[in-house]
Amino acid sequence: MNETAGPLLKITAGIILLIVIAPLVVPILMSISDTPYIVFPPQGFTLQWYGAVLANPEARGSFLFSLELAGIVTALSLALGIPCAVGLTRYTVPGQNIVLGVILSPLIVPLIVTGVALLQLFAMLGSRATMMQLVIGHTVICLPYVIRSVSASFLLVNRSLEDAASVLGAPPHVVAARVIWPQVRPGILAGGIFSFIVSFDDYPISMWLADGNHFPVPLYLYTVIERSFDPSIAAIASLMIFFALLLALVIEKVFGISLARLAS
Amino acid sequence: MGRVRKLFSGNRYTGHLLVAPAVIFLAVWFLWPVLSMAWLSVSARQVDGVMIDGFTLENYARLFSTDLYFRILIRTVRVALMTSLFAALFAYPLAIAIARGGPSLARLVTFTILAPLLVNVVVRSYGWQTILNKTGALAWALKLVGVSNPPVLLYTEWAVLIACVHVYMPFMAMPLAAAIGRIDRTVEEAARVAGATGLAVFLKVIFPLSLPGLAVGASLVFSLSAAAYVTPQILGGNFAPLLGTLVEQQILTLNDWPFGAAISTLLLAMVLAANLLFLKLANRHFARWTAGAK
Repeated sequence: MNETAGPLLKITAGIILLIVIAPLVVPILMSISDTPYIVFPPQGFTLQWYGAVLANPEARGSFLFSLELAGIVTALSLALGIPCAVGLTRYTVPGQNIVLGVILSPLIVPLIVTGVALLQLFAMLGSRATMMQLVIGHTVICLPYVIRSVSASFLLVNRSLEDAASVLGAPPHVVAARVIWPQVRPGILAGGIFSFIVSFDDYPISMWLADGNHFPVPLYLYTVIERSFDPSIAAIASLMIFFALLLALVIEKVFGISLARLAS
Repeated sequence: MGRVRKLFSGNRYTGHLLVAPAVIFLAVWFLWPVLSMAWLSVSARQVDGVMIDGFTLENYARLFSTDLYFRILIRTVRVALMTSLFAALFAYPLAIAIARGGPSLARLVTFTILAPLLVNVVVRSYGWQTILNKTGALAWALKLVGVSNPPVLLYTEWAVLIACVHVYMPFMAMPLAAAIGRIDRTVEEAARVAGATGLAVFLKVIFPLSLPGLAVGASLVFSLSAAAYVTPQILGGNFAPLLGTLVEQQILTLNDWPFGAAISTLLLAMVLAANLLFLKLANRHFARWTAGAK
């Protein structure tokens, strides 16, 4: 009894979804081409381009660096974000609206503007600590997501369960571990995962702050696209696409967090 | 029985102490740099590589009076508006499918829209390069159907627009789906029982009632595409730069910090203005429409 979802709608939606996945499928097709240049349709079949990418020390170095950066940024965002979310949801903080405004404002300002403003500040301070600058820049854009996600989960906690546990004699740490933690865990997990992804995928902050020795994956990908023309670049794009698909499945199936929740 | 010990207790400063680290972090590393950048744009200018201090509006005047820069500004607004428009056109069918299509269809559509967000934006833009370039998939497909001289879209504003719509459409589809999901189904049923066609139901019921979602989506898509850097670089090259590219050139290549700061500040002002405008317009129409319906 779903007249709105008639066949016409399904066909239209289907066509649009095909367009949505086309730019992800075409590079995969091109990556197996047996030609020294990129061509569609692909000719022959080879996996040599994948071998070339996996053996490339620059590609590996960037990948490991991005993992490290995203890991540190996520840890820092959680360390700052969880107490902040508790403070916002469990205590009265005078000037709460101003505090919320400060916390959410990095989500409104264009990332490229945040990045260039930070570069200007670091230049003014005479800082040359690239790693620290990248960690700070990424944390600025990840922290608001963590606070939002964790606050939302604290607001949903059923307070009467907590009261019941305390009345029945559970000491505070037991209430925290057995009653509150299971209820806020999904929010903290979602905030952490999202923070990791935002940092790992960031281009517009890193483009200002990175240098040759601290070169995250997105910047590396861009330089590869600019300078090479053989199918190895399609291969590296394909690897990124497989990696993202795997990540999407892990998030949904292993962690049980729907992508829609992560994006909201 | 003794007093119940509460987990979240403490004096009246505890809340402050918990919130303080994050707020101080963002004040120092976000508010300070952004405000000092806006200040730089009016407190200095660069003439022949020499920085001249003192209040000035010269940086902004230069942006509006130099033909090349002004064209880039207009292109940025045009691309951002067109991206929002096309994103809405493509997002509506998907949003309706999510909100009204039953659980399995909704899950499939949601996953297919959101999973590409996990693919790096550089890779998604590169994907369009492989479709739109001279030996790409589109040229091949057009040749198959007999178009002998397919248009080369790569490195044009069209290519930038196509890729921006693709990259940012999910940010339109999700708020739209949420807004449509909140519409009472009985309103649609009533319209249909009264003889409205599918199109009429969309135009008279779904569209006006989804305006708040459209406003949220449009502000997101406009903001993101106006400030896009990677996608215009990869698909437009030097032929269709947007403001982001201009900032990058002025600062990293020409070292003109005050002018770069002015462009960034204008970009920020544009995004804030668009957000306010979209939300205001939508709220007014929504209020008028729902008041009329009562």
